[in-house]
Amino acid sequence: MSPHDEMLDVVAAYALGVLPPQEASAAIDHLKTCEACQAEYRLLQPAVTAVAYSAEACADPASGAAVVSPLLKARIMKRVRGEEKRPQVPRVWLAYAAAAACLAFAIVTGLLDVSLNARLARERAQSSLQAQTIADFMAPDSKHRQFHDGEVLMHGQRLYIAMHNMPMPPKGKVYQAWTLTKGAKSVAPSMTFMPSAGGMTVVRLPEAATTLAAVAVSVEPEGGSLQPTTKPIAMVTLQ
Amino acid sequence: MEDASRLMERVRAHDADAFEALYDGYHRLVYGLALRVLSDPGAAEDVTQAVFLKIWDSPALFHGGNFGAWIARVTRNRAFDVIRSRSARAEGEFPESLPLDDTLEDTAIANVDGARVRDALARLPAEQREPIELGFFGGVTHQEIARQIGLPLGTVKTRIRSGLRRLRNALEGAVSV
Repeated sequence: MSPHDEMLDVVAAYALGVLPPQEASAAIDHLKTCEACQAEYRLLQPAVTAVAYSAEACADPASGAAVVSPLLKARIMKRVRGEEKRPQVPRVWLAYAAAAACLAFAIVTGLLDVSLNARLARERAQSSLQAQTIADFMAPDSKHRQFHDGEVLMHGQRLYIAMHNMPMPPKGKVYQAWTLTKGAKSVAPSMTFMPSAGGMTVVRLPEAATTLAAVAVSVEPEGGSLQPTTKPIAMVTLQ
Repeated sequence: MEDASRLMERVRAHDADAFEALYDGYHRLVYGLALRVLSDPGAAEDVTQAVFLKIWDSPALFHGGNFGAWIARVTRNRAFDVIRSRSARAEGEFPESLPLDDTLEDTAIANVDGARVRDALARLPAEQREPIELGFFGGVTHQEIARQIGLPLGTVKTRIRSGLRRLRNALEGAVSV
């Protein structure tokens, strides 16, 4: 067996999903550059999907298996129908706007204790930024994309991530945003952030909204990462 | 059923009817796969609920391609998460099953006939079927398969490839490229 035949065997193991993470990464790297292995992967991948479909028998009454409980569907659809009938966007966005307003208020009340002009100028700038954030939230021509428990909002070149019900990340971890520039093949690191005690987050990304194709958020070590080290908790395309 | 990719476009717009059609079309695959991996009807229902609500909450996770292959991968990973949470095994001992490159998009499968698929799988020689089923449903790496079957790693990988090729040939006609 030639070394490349051995690689084709590795591709089969990768297609089946039985490689440990490190070997799977190596297989992906090889697949990116080897047309023969890409062809083998494409040949075998439908067979792997067929293996998955063979498990349908476990839920097929015709084969004597237990029927999936209709209560399961009822539970799922209850939540889905409930959300469909009660679009949460206005309520949620009012909450985000309120969160941004509270930040502005905190900045203003902080000024009572400090009289340094430099501090005053800096705080005014921050206050102005908060006001702009609120205006962007409420602008009728802003564009919204659903994003986990929240949304990504675009208004002109400005881009915000607003999320609620966010758990605090594990100790030593932070949330990190990732952006995919139009035409790029890999994501770039953006800012890191933490939710408020109530699980609310409103952050403005520094990137220009119109230059981006997608945004994602993952949990990363403090200080952030250059490449995602965990699966994104949320991802959205912006077209 | 309407094409799954079109249904997913409607789900992105929060269309509950489209979501229900997807559930009706794919819940047996999701539940059956979760049950096969977990051997626990309650846990399989939990996985099924989690998978479908994830689709509702984050439809953008589906980038196109073969929806059945995608939802099967999501389900398998979710079921493995359950095993992982119950297990003392180290993270590196679990397999990684996500194709991460869009250029290797799933090949379409048309008119999947479950009975035909099961028959094709059953007709594989046991020496090929065993490592395939153990690996796909068991949440173990190829090294663990080799250990459990008692064969060299290279032999296991070759048998997996031979088995998948034979299965692919047996499904000719049910698979469109």
